[in-house]
Amino acid sequence: MKRIKIFDLFLHAVMISLALVWIYPYLWLFMSSFKPAREIFTTFVPSRFTLEHYEFIFLMSGRLGRPFVRALLNSVFVASTVTFSVVMTSAFVGFTLAKIRFALSRLIFNFILYQMLFPGFMFLIPLFILVRTFGLMNSYLALILPGLLSSWGTFMFAQSFKTIPDDYIDAAKLDGANRFWIVLRVMLPLTRSTASIVGLFTFIGTWDNFLWPLMVMKDYKKMPLAVLLATFNHEYAGYVGPVLAGAVLQTIPMVLIFLILRKYFLQGISMSLR
Amino acid sequence: MASLSAKEKRFGTGIIAFYLTHTAIFWGYPFVWMVMLAFSRWRFVGRPTFVGLANFLRILQDSNFIRIVLNTLNFLAYLIPMLLISSLIFAIALSRMRYFKTFVVMSFLVANVSSGVAYSIMFSNLFAVNGPLNRIVYSLFGFTIPWFSDPRLAVFSICLIVTWKFVGYYGMIIYAGLQAIPSSLFEAAKMDGASNWKIFWTITLPLLNPSLITVTVFATTLTFGIFTEPYMITGGGPMMRTMTLLIYMYDTAFRRIDPSYATVVAIATAVMSFSLVIVIRRIFEREVALV
Repeated sequence: MKRIKIFDLFLHAVMISLALVWIYPYLWLFMSSFKPAREIFTTFVPSRFTLEHYEFIFLMSGRLGRPFVRALLNSVFVASTVTFSVVMTSAFVGFTLAKIRFALSRLIFNFILYQMLFPGFMFLIPLFILVRTFGLMNSYLALILPGLLSSWGTFMFAQSFKTIPDDYIDAAKLDGANRFWIVLRVMLPLTRSTASIVGLFTFIGTWDNFLWPLMVMKDYKKMPLAVLLATFNHEYAGYVGPVLAGAVLQTIPMVLIFLILRKYFLQGISMSLR
Repeated sequence: MASLSAKEKRFGTGIIAFYLTHTAIFWGYPFVWMVMLAFSRWRFVGRPTFVGLANFLRILQDSNFIRIVLNTLNFLAYLIPMLLISSLIFAIALSRMRYFKTFVVMSFLVANVSSGVAYSIMFSNLFAVNGPLNRIVYSLFGFTIPWFSDPRLAVFSICLIVTWKFVGYYGMIIYAGLQAIPSSLFEAAKMDGASNWKIFWTITLPLLNPSLITVTVFATTLTFGIFTEPYMITGGGPMMRTMTLLIYMYDTAFRRIDPSYATVVAIATAVMSFSLVIVIRRIFEREVALV
């Protein structure tokens, strides 16, 4: 018995220290963005804290033609538009496929499964050609339009709507509710966790998307933060402080939304095991 | 199924028409272009000229492409064992923990929501020649480790940071599989006098097959899609060792202005990734029935 106790103590100690090792890079990044430039690589706890890197990013970088604040707002705008659209369109298409009987529904559902087999990178160059042909290069539309629908999101909603009895719909219909009302006010609240999972993963995926915006966005004013940060890191590698402050800026929204919706993140993970 | 009224029909038709239009434009049209580009030669201007299978013959003789396929195998050889073993250990250790469990899970998962660009910058500085990690190594052993500048080490270093990012996520997948095994099985085996080691090999591992396969498949598709880390940290170097298929696709399309060949690179990547996944499933997947 005693041996097991000691083993458990040891196990806890190891796992907790590993957890600290795992968050150490974040802590280092965060601390470093407040350190004087000379101390970034030398000390963990600096002699004094400074906001100079953030000042540079928020106030001066615009004059270099690298507007970080705008880029942050661009990212917020693009990621939230895409997320909102994906949740809505997935809910409506998913509802139609799961709850309305029509000739093509089986076929379209199978097609969505088939679509998910193709990795996104196969379509990048043809999509680039499409965007160029429509004259959408360097526009927000190039970042938003291809992501308005998601076959994965549609699939998730269709699956969870199938588990909801038709009685809910019939009752709402008796009360005179129309289709839009039924989806928005009856079905969506019943599948809140699906909506959160789809929204969370779509937001993280869009915020973190790098290759696509790198291809279609050369205008510094409309770049999402990921691309602006990458080009800034490339051109001004000597400005370590501001680069790290920019990385903090890029990380914080994702970590915040993860901490708020962590419950659904865990649900989403266990769902990937079919 | 609800009964079908005229109103319902209009609603359904409207939604489906919207879906089909978007899919036709942003999936169907690119798909047609992809097939067309694969069999033609085109440099962003004029009309594509049909060249038959020339692009596919070219890729088989392209020494750069072969180098990059070898790199990808190198990535796979590090990443799959690293991710599989570490997430398995993580899951088993986690299932034996009683206190601070949430803290441990959150610390490992928060690594997964790091943005590709930001964490590449973070680690390229942490692992820099004069960075904090090398300072510690130098003060202890008197030398520094060229994490990203040594051709033999660079791939391993990138795999290390990818493992940092994904071990929590994959660990939780295996943990979910572990929770699905009824504890009565372990208790029965213990009663029969089986050792922990034997229980692990004959009960835990076989019953975890579905989640282990899921992780292996995820890790495989992940490896074929690596772009941001080497693009940001090494730029494909040193000596092209960290050049990945997607970097090659991007470079071919936009630096060498050869989108038709780049499309064939993308197709080849998808085919390799897909076939490897099928092979893994065929060889290692077992039917597991829990009563």
